[in-house]
Amino acid sequence: MTLEQSATGLDRPARGRLHRLRYRLKIILREPTTIIGVLAAALFAYLIIVPILSLLVDAVQVQFGDERRIKQDVGAFTSYYLERVFSSRISHDMFWEPLRNTLTVAFGAIVLSMLVGGTLAWLLSRSDMFGRRWFATALIVPYMLPAWTFALAWTTLFKNRTVGGQPGWMESLGFTPPDWLSYGQVPVIIILALHYSPFVILLFGNALRRFDLQLEDSARILGASRLTVTRKIILPLMRPALMSAMVLIFAKCLGEFGVPYVLGLPVDFDVLATSLYRNIASRQSGVGAVLAGAIMLIGIITITIDARLMKEARRFVTVGSKGSMNRLSPLGPWRMPATLFAALMFLFSVGLPIATLFLSTVMKVPAQFTLDNFTLDYWIGTDLKTVALTTGILLSPELWSAAWNSLTIVGTASIVSGLLGLLVGYVVVRTPVRPLATFLRQVTFLPYLVPGIAFATAYLSLFAVPRGPIPALYGTTLILVLALIADQMPYASRAGISAMMQLGKEPEEAAQVAGAGWLRRMMLIVVPIQKGSLTTGILLPFISGIKGLSLFVVLAVPSTDVLTTYSLRLVDYNYTQAANAVVLIIAALAYFGALLGQKLTRTNLAEGLGS
Amino acid sequence: MPKINLSGVEKNYGGNAANAVADLDLEIGDGEFMCLLGPSGCGKTTTLRMIAGLEHLSAGEITVGPRVVDSIAQGVFVPPEKRQMGLVFQSYALWPHLTIERNIDFGLRLRNMPPPEREARVASVMKTLGIEKYRERYPSQLSGGQQQRVALARMLAVNPEVLLLDEPLSNLDAALRLEMRAELKRLHQEFKTTIVFVTHDQWEAMTLATTIAVMSDGRLQQVGTPNDIYDRPANRFVARFVGNPPINIVELGQKNSMLSASAGRFLSAYGAELAGASAIALRPEAIRIARQGDDVPAGVLAGEVQVTGILPTGGSWIIELTCGAEKLFLITHQPPDAEVGEAITYWAKPKALHVFDAAGNRLDAADRLLRPERKLNS
Repeated sequence: MTLEQSATGLDRPARGRLHRLRYRLKIILREPTTIIGVLAAALFAYLIIVPILSLLVDAVQVQFGDERRIKQDVGAFTSYYLERVFSSRISHDMFWEPLRNTLTVAFGAIVLSMLVGGTLAWLLSRSDMFGRRWFATALIVPYMLPAWTFALAWTTLFKNRTVGGQPGWMESLGFTPPDWLSYGQVPVIIILALHYSPFVILLFGNALRRFDLQLEDSARILGASRLTVTRKIILPLMRPALMSAMVLIFAKCLGEFGVPYVLGLPVDFDVLATSLYRNIASRQSGVGAVLAGAIMLIGIITITIDARLMKEARRFVTVGSKGSMNRLSPLGPWRMPATLFAALMFLFSVGLPIATLFLSTVMKVPAQFTLDNFTLDYWIGTDLKTVALTTGILLSPELWSAAWNSLTIVGTASIVSGLLGLLVGYVVVRTPVRPLATFLRQVTFLPYLVPGIAFATAYLSLFAVPRGPIPALYGTTLILVLALIADQMPYASRAGISAMMQLGKEPEEAAQVAGAGWLRRMMLIVVPIQKGSLTTGILLPFISGIKGLSLFVVLAVPSTDVLTTYSLRLVDYNYTQAANAVVLIIAALAYFGALLGQKLTRTNLAEGLGS
Repeated sequence: MPKINLSGVEKNYGGNAANAVADLDLEIGDGEFMCLLGPSGCGKTTTLRMIAGLEHLSAGEITVGPRVVDSIAQGVFVPPEKRQMGLVFQSYALWPHLTIERNIDFGLRLRNMPPPEREARVASVMKTLGIEKYRERYPSQLSGGQQQRVALARMLAVNPEVLLLDEPLSNLDAALRLEMRAELKRLHQEFKTTIVFVTHDQWEAMTLATTIAVMSDGRLQQVGTPNDIYDRPANRFVARFVGNPPINIVELGQKNSMLSASAGRFLSAYGAELAGASAIALRPEAIRIARQGDDVPAGVLAGEVQVTGILPTGGSWIIELTCGAEKLFLITHQPPDAEVGEAITYWAKPKALHVFDAAGNRLDAADRLLRPERKLNS
């Protein structure tokens, strides 16, 4: 009432606005939701937007050490790096050739994985192939293993004299594989296709399963042949799922570092990610920033296209009715060959690589299958006659410190990002301030557009030197944890938002009406109910973090080695058996982690991995 | 028990969307069983949620008893957790991670009730609703009807001054719904709580409410007792919305319509006072039929129609009467004395007529003339 009187000087509409504003402010500030939201928004702005901006600024500013060459002071504006990357004598080797390689690798992998994955998806969801249930899980396994597991298995098998060190199995068996088979484009395409065909199996398979058979039946009844039905009805309706899988694979290939690094190096086969890595390793941070920016741009374009396609796809969502009940096409005489095909794919994409890697760690001379050639020295031996690493890998303190680092760094980051994700979900769904919700949703999604290696470069650019009150973080575990958190936020926040959406607001409102304040509602209702999705939200990033390489390879230093960078170092030093052993350990961690998650949450994590 | 007063309440969700609730004045008396009735999207749930404090006002004021709980002008907003109300959601919103007992004693624990007292209270509420044996179960282990009872028990346990129910019976099957309706009525008599009940089901509103508030497009259409609403619908919307089969409406002054012409002739006999009439309405049960040669009483509305359909509904019959392009539906509890295809005479007593003006509002003058024996504004 007092304000009513004091405001009588104002005309009525103005007073009405004032009252409404006061009422709104009261509502906004009544609960901590909005304040938490604002803090989270500030945090993510710093962890996500600022590094990217810093990277973009680096691309056009003279970097430390380049003053002489550019003849300008550090920090001055320059187009030197842009010119160097795009139009100098070395730009062919540095950018255009890698770009071409990236594109051919990506498209090769897409075509191959579409063929293989598409066939498998159809066999799994619409045919009467044997053992479909088992294959449905088994064929997803390749995606749970780190991609360069396959790269190492490949070199173990096909390595030739071009590179020193232990010879490959083929070589040992007296057959020297040609370079094109051993290194470069061909193996990279094959491996990425094998690694990403689970995407196609999941996305395309889901779409096929959800496809309403009544649509097909209607066409058949009207007299369309099987082929016409496929061409005119099924394929057009499947297009969004197929396109989406393609775009996803393309985006993943763009940031793929490990496979081209292991298989490309011997024949100077560079993709954008390895070219970027090379520049960062040789401290060319300006050029690195330009390359990272270019990768980011391609990534953003790709995802924008994907978003468009998904929007379009929503136009013809075929609502699953009773008709979407699975009816299987009989394969007839093809039943056995089809099953054999699936089995063969499993053998190539899981069995063979794992077996090869494992055998390579217990054999002294490659591919010599005699009893005295087998040894456990590489795992648990002591006093080996090597320059460094004179003990088996399990006895080496470096392994344990790398494993410890992996667990703590990835574990901390996953827990923090899982909790932050739930918090973001809560704020996005609950805050009365809609712009805040929109900003949070978008900012946490941003890292999805940026391939890991480019994102890591951005972190390097921001945190390599002290900025204001924040000391230089390069070389610390903190930078790795922060970068990982930011990198995982798209998945974490998506999981959090969808979990909160699914929960709806009613359980919380019921508690509110019953008299529970905000903190009580969080502790007694929201967090306990979301326990399951929180577990998934932590475990999924943990698995992908454990096998992740591209982020660490830029930001880790020997003292902060994680398992992935440690094994890469071993590859670099040609300790093949040790490297393979470490990769096996990583693969085991990732795979059993996924299994554990499946057990804990009673969901199919493999499907979550595709998102 | 307080009375709830809403004055000038308005709610919009921003943007250019029409107001979800506009200019709402409503008084809910102490101990009343008030039903907010209307089609989906009419703003009734929004109104309920504003009373609970789960939705904020865009304009207006809400008081509960002497206390202002929500007011733009005074800048007052009492949060839901301080309003001492109970709310039962359409989806029940039971907490899936808590046992039935813990669901029910949640509010009591928050109020720091000592354990012996708390247990006694929970036991008595569970007994009232017949759910004692589910004490240790989780919500997912109960059927819909049982969950419904738990949701009610959870709110009754804290003995709220006001109990708000948001379509609590709509997820139940027909038999259970009837049972729960009787249960709610009994609870209202036993606890004497003020109840605000949201529903789109006119049957539910009719059987339960002491007062019904009919809403449409965010606006209050009529407030009154169930009989009022049925017998004296304030406008065409209320007349159409309440009653099943729906009320028959005949537009006046239509060319080429014998129904319209005969109704017009009938009204004109009452003089110039009814000049503003634009439509009449007849409840299906108010229509009588007479076969050719049977007597039709004097002074009634009557006309020639053809029987075009007889739909038995078990115990009663719905008869479709056609006159040109128009149809009338009547309902009778006697086996119909006519056959499909037969030409007959329909008739209705003057007091059964509802007359509406051009704006769709009830023409009070008509009631004075056609139903002189009834008290107005009851």
